[in-house]
Amino acid sequence: MSGLARIARRGRPRPNGLTIFGVVTLGCLLFLGVFGPWLPLGDPSRIAAGPRLDAPSAQFLFGTDELGRNFLPRVVQGIRSTFLLSAVAVAITAVIGTLLGMAAGYLGRHTDQIVARGADILFAFPALVAGLLVAAIMGPGQASAITVISIATLPLFIRVVRSVTLGVAGRGFVTAAEVAGASTLRVMLVHLLPNVMGAVIVQLTYALSIGMIIESGLSFLGLGVQPPNASLGSLLRQGSAYLTIAPWMVLSSGVVLSLAIMSVNLVGDAVRDALEPLKGRPLT
Amino acid sequence: MRLATYLLPRVLAALVTLLGVSVLVFLSLRLLPGGYADILLGPFVTPEARAVIAQRYGLDQPLVVQYLRWVWAMLGGDFGVSMVTQRPVIDELLRRAPVTLQLALIALVLALAVGYPLGVLSGVRAASRRKRRDFGRVIGAMGASVPDFVLGSVLIFVFSVWSLWFRVGGYVPLGVDPVGNLRTMLLPGLTLSVFGVALILRTTRDAVLRVMTEPHITAAVARGASPGAIIRRHILRNAAIPVVTVVATYFGFLLGGAVIVEVLFSVPGVGLYIFNGLLNRDYAIVQAGVLLAAMVFITINMLADVLYALIDPRVGVSR
Repeated sequence: MSGLARIARRGRPRPNGLTIFGVVTLGCLLFLGVFGPWLPLGDPSRIAAGPRLDAPSAQFLFGTDELGRNFLPRVVQGIRSTFLLSAVAVAITAVIGTLLGMAAGYLGRHTDQIVARGADILFAFPALVAGLLVAAIMGPGQASAITVISIATLPLFIRVVRSVTLGVAGRGFVTAAEVAGASTLRVMLVHLLPNVMGAVIVQLTYALSIGMIIESGLSFLGLGVQPPNASLGSLLRQGSAYLTIAPWMVLSSGVVLSLAIMSVNLVGDAVRDALEPLKGRPLT
Repeated sequence: MRLATYLLPRVLAALVTLLGVSVLVFLSLRLLPGGYADILLGPFVTPEARAVIAQRYGLDQPLVVQYLRWVWAMLGGDFGVSMVTQRPVIDELLRRAPVTLQLALIALVLALAVGYPLGVLSGVRAASRRKRRDFGRVIGAMGASVPDFVLGSVLIFVFSVWSLWFRVGGYVPLGVDPVGNLRTMLLPGLTLSVFGVALILRTTRDAVLRVMTEPHITAAVARGASPGAIIRRHILRNAAIPVVTVVATYFGFLLGGAVIVEVLFSVPGVGLYIFNGLLNRDYAIVQAGVLLAAMVFITINMLADVLYALIDPRVGVSR
């Protein structure tokens, strides 16, 4: 099989069509999300800007909703809140998960047992079912969404950081630092952290896409972002009531949401190929 | 017994996880705004009534005692009573469990039937030609990126405009009308399966690629074995091992987590029941439902570990 020889000769991964598509799409969506409020797209909350449930036209690219609001700026607002909410939740979770994972891998023994079991416990809750419980306790809203995203993604960070730390903790430079009298905290932050960062960055992109799916799912059920604010999930919820007579609401927000998640996933794949060339998809 | 030394820690870990899950779920109900008496009796509750309720439900006892009583009741099959219907939650959950199980099985079968062959094909192709990205990566990226409620909404739109053969909503039990049941269950099953297709495809593809670098493949090539025989005898079996783990996780999530698809397609399964429980502030349902979902998930993953040990003869040895 000549493939084996080719595999042996493989070089560093080069950018390809899918990656470029992902980067460009993600760039456009982030631009819209960040600068959306200052772009001349129209007012997302102005009622009766046009006829009700008007089909897409040159004036209203994505049509209008049941209150006659221009749907395009609402989708842009949705991009903004979906990305922002997921990013905030994942950022908080990444910091906590990295610290816990490093502590588990480096300190070992009881700390490791407790943290690893804790990650298992969180992992056992299906995200949206846990979301129902969290919504019952905290009430629907952005805080609930952030909590649910954290519950779902914390185990990912803990497990990956823990396993990388286990591989690094016994190496010479760590022992040298310990012998030189470095405190536990210093060993973790100065010597271990740089070694786990690559794995954390790879997990960040996957956690972001999971976070976006959870956020939009909760908002779709009416448990996440509350009106008048919009997320891509709540726009889908709004549109699904008028699915047969005004399908553009579901289609536009659904396509944008899928593109957003896909672009994050594709960028995540590219980041993984670049940072961990020997892991995951090693041979392609 | 090497198998036992492999399995015992895993079973113990699953039990500890179960314990942790139950403590979390138990505490969560105590965190509810207002407390149990207020939820049960409404805002105009007198202190006397509150005391009666507290005594009847044992709320005046220490938390540890309450927890142990709660666990003891569950071991006897008592998962609480619905505040709305005053009937045991477990009855309704068990009545609906087969619906969710059927939905999960449809999704799993579809996902395996499409994902596994495509994953093998894509992996073999990617390794033997110099194609970094082939159809496997495109399908994998797309399937993992379209949320189930987006896909489900689009399917509902398509099939409510052109009815074709499928029906949206109007669930019929399998025992009453098998064909009518499939007409309503295939669309939600299909919706749920798309993520599984992507997941299984990607896992299989990675596994195939990894197996293909191993020495025994090179040896088989050197022996002059045909590519078909290599795939059948050496690749398929070895590539199946990581797929088992992923399939178990996926199945566990399907059994507990199909809330959105059940709500979307009005499938009267466990997920819809929990969701309606939340809308009615019937917290006993939410609590029991979440606990059962997590229990099912843990159990299935433990069974996957057992299966793993049976498929892969190396497991008991290396430990």
